[in-house]
Amino acid sequence: MVNILEMPEIAHTVHEPAPIAETPPLGMIEIKQVDFAYGNHQVLHDVNLSIPPRAVTAFIGPSGCGKTTLLRCLNRMNDLIDGAHITRGSIRIEGVDINEPTVDVVDLRRRVGMVFQKSNPFPKSIYDNVAYGLRIAGVTKRTAIDEAVEKSLRSAALWDEVKDRLHVSGYGLSGGQQQRLCIARALAVEPEIVLMDEPCSALDPIATAKVEELIRQLKAQYTIVIVTHNMQQAGRCSDRTAFFYLGRLIEVDDTAKIFSNPSQRQTEEYITGRFG
Amino acid sequence: MTNEKHILATFDEALASLRDSVLLMSSLTERSLDRAITGLLKRDDDMCAIAIADDEEIDQLEKQVDKDGIDLLLRFQPVASDLRRVVSAMKLSSNLERMADQATNIARRARKLNQHPPLPETELIRPMYLHAMAMFKDAIDAYVRADVDLARSVVPRDEGLDELNRTTGRRLIERMAEDPSQLRGYLNLIFISRCLERVGDHATNMAEDAVYAVAAEDIRHQHLAASR
Repeated sequence: MVNILEMPEIAHTVHEPAPIAETPPLGMIEIKQVDFAYGNHQVLHDVNLSIPPRAVTAFIGPSGCGKTTLLRCLNRMNDLIDGAHITRGSIRIEGVDINEPTVDVVDLRRRVGMVFQKSNPFPKSIYDNVAYGLRIAGVTKRTAIDEAVEKSLRSAALWDEVKDRLHVSGYGLSGGQQQRLCIARALAVEPEIVLMDEPCSALDPIATAKVEELIRQLKAQYTIVIVTHNMQQAGRCSDRTAFFYLGRLIEVDDTAKIFSNPSQRQTEEYITGRFG
Repeated sequence: MTNEKHILATFDEALASLRDSVLLMSSLTERSLDRAITGLLKRDDDMCAIAIADDEEIDQLEKQVDKDGIDLLLRFQPVASDLRRVVSAMKLSSNLERMADQATNIARRARKLNQHPPLPETELIRPMYLHAMAMFKDAIDAYVRADVDLARSVVPRDEGLDELNRTTGRRLIERMAEDPSQLRGYLNLIFISRCLERVGDHATNMAEDAVYAVAAEDIRHQHLAASR
């Protein structure tokens, strides 16, 4: 009896199934061999870093070490600076190199939201601040916008404080509330990743605690990268910590390891305040 | 461990002060134990009284170390090796205070023994004392010099002290049966033996804390796990 599978007519069409391409997890960032320069001045050197999804990664390091520059690379905010460019390497989000010419940078910045050191609500009402991104994206249905605004403000732990005054100017909020409004605004367009550049440095301790608690809740759904000068904040908020110095990644590890027993002497000296 | 100074000089000063307090406690505790055992072996009641009086100063130092340690944590929020140094210093002081308590217990029992004719079995205490004090000195030395190997070497020696305590206890119980008229004396010696066994336990704890301070490694209870 002939084995049908061994028949020449059949064999060449019977083949092993193609391996399933591994899809990077949602919100996964891979930074590989990245050099970055402002004009001729190189500020990042051979940075290799994987940022896990649905976790908080903190960038720490002395001023000028390149942590904010790297953060801004993740949503190509550095494109707005003349002469600033990646000179080597790649940054991939969910497997796609974000610096490919085919990448829609506007959509990138929707998917990779950003919250800045100084809160910057628009000169609009609380409602319109959050709705702005949705309207720009073409959402016109009032009920859809209402739902999205409420959802975002709830996600930012601000809804209960502002639900009765949504049409008040965003400028009328306290500093901590403004920062949470900015977070709500970023969340409204359903990003996968949220970047935060020293989000609490201008806030009082209570407002800081509220934002930190919010970060803890958000990481269940979003990949979060936070630049901070506050070692204790990094220790409280983050799952992984990356230490940078003079444009190089010196060490990255679980936050508990970094702050209890770092592997690199430079890391130890920085976090214990022996230099910086 | 890094040797660089902190940018904040007050941080270095506070750490140095904490360390000095622990070292002072260590010296006073060692002296107190020495006085208590001298009071026993030389039947010197004055020495016993001084050993008992020593305890007050050591108790106050423990409180000071805890206060200074908490203050350091509050003011400077240390991390990594600095945090381990502060936590270890506080734990060391607790062990030193307990050791000093054992010295007091030894001195009190020695005073009772001194009211009666000397017992030859008192000499059973000497090798235990020497063994316990060697562990103590090495544990403190390891902490001061950040010598992880020396610290690790202290831990297994506790078993030797435990065995000395067991054999001393057995011998004293035999003597109790042989000479019931000296029962109280032998009982006091059993308790003194037990005090020195506890000194060895505290020295072991201190050595484990020294390893943690230097190497961020928790080696406690491993000998128990290995023996199961």
